[in-house]
Amino acid sequence: MTTHFITAEIDLQESPIKLQAAIEAELEKRGEPLRWAIASVDTEKQTAQVEAIVTTK
Amino acid sequence: MTYNVVLIVPTGIGAAIGGYAGDALPVARAMSQICDRLITHPNVMNGAQLYWPISNALYVEGYGLDQFAKGKWGLQPDQQNRVGLIFDQGIEPELRSRHLQVADATRATLGLNLTDYVITDQPLNVELRTADSGTSWGTIGNPDSLLRAAENLINETQSNAIAVISRFPDDVDATVLTDYRHGSGVDPLSGAEAVISHLIVRQFQIPAAHAPALSPLPLDPEISPRSAAEEIGYTFLPCVLVGLSRAPQFVQQPTLDSIWSKQVNALVIPATAAGGSATLSLTQQNCLIIAVEENHTLLQVAPEPLGIKAIRVNSYLEAIGVLVAHRSGINLDCFRPNLSSLHPLS
Repeated sequence: MTTHFITAEIDLQESPIKLQAAIEAELEKRGEPLRWAIASVDTEKQTAQVEAIVTTK
Repeated sequence: MTYNVVLIVPTGIGAAIGGYAGDALPVARAMSQICDRLITHPNVMNGAQLYWPISNALYVEGYGLDQFAKGKWGLQPDQQNRVGLIFDQGIEPELRSRHLQVADATRATLGLNLTDYVITDQPLNVELRTADSGTSWGTIGNPDSLLRAAENLINETQSNAIAVISRFPDDVDATVLTDYRHGSGVDPLSGAEAVISHLIVRQFQIPAAHAPALSPLPLDPEISPRSAAEEIGYTFLPCVLVGLSRAPQFVQQPTLDSIWSKQVNALVIPATAAGGSATLSLTQQNCLIIAVEENHTLLQVAPEPLGIKAIRVNSYLEAIGVLVAHRSGINLDCFRPNLSSLHPLS
């Protein structure tokens, strides 16, 4: 197993739960999400920047 | 009808209150007085050598808290855990002895139930990282060694909670470290600590927490009171062992007295750190979200752009007032000087 620090930009969604699902779906493309948080929000672009640790086998 | 509150102060984001050495613990102590259960996490409760047993507080590691908030795991309170210890092979023998003496002291002086310990079969090689946002993160060079040690410990000793002590680098940027010890900036270690405990909890679904092993620092007469708890002794371990000894176990099915996210009545967060998984999850519950503005952080992630309806308050003292009113079913609008009249439906 390897731990990786990654970042991702996610479009804001109509609800927090949909946003959470969109974040996790994006992170899962890069590994198994271990810990993540939204680090900033761009209200003009309507995006959230996410910092995360994912693991890969 | 019980009233349960979740208190979150995320680690590694430079929170003005709770970003240092267990310095949100007074907030937790006060908040615990006005709810039936206070669900919070090691960053709030851990003050290195210092701790405060709160009888109705649930000490829940961050990964477990995220699963709890999602409704996937429940919390089984009132535990008397057997706490096992994992030592990173990278810890020097003398430093390991210091930690073992602390562990023995908690057995002899506090009566905790600890098991024999395991040393990882490889050094864990913790690497610290600062993200572009300024928050602290970290990676682990040998996560499989950590997980093998945990599996061995659980199988051989029947531990049902795990404390990990890993060697953290001493060569932290001098400015960052000085800022932290002086009560500003970000805890450079805490992001990596969270990764270690998350790995254990994700894999084994039992309580876990982490204490970093570090060489002692030279005396600094300018230490901030908020950081001072980490200057008292040789280890940061006592709070971890005390917290884990009573930490709730995670359950996947409801039991008679387990607690689930739908039973959370309120969540309290810093107003600039609304973008965590647990916070997003709890918006789905019928849960009051209170955002505390005075607890500023490095982040600028407000609830509103994420679609989170939160009550903004200035301070934790005000948050406690809101919780008391909410628990009592009192309309919060009554506490403002201007209360508008009722209108007929159009």
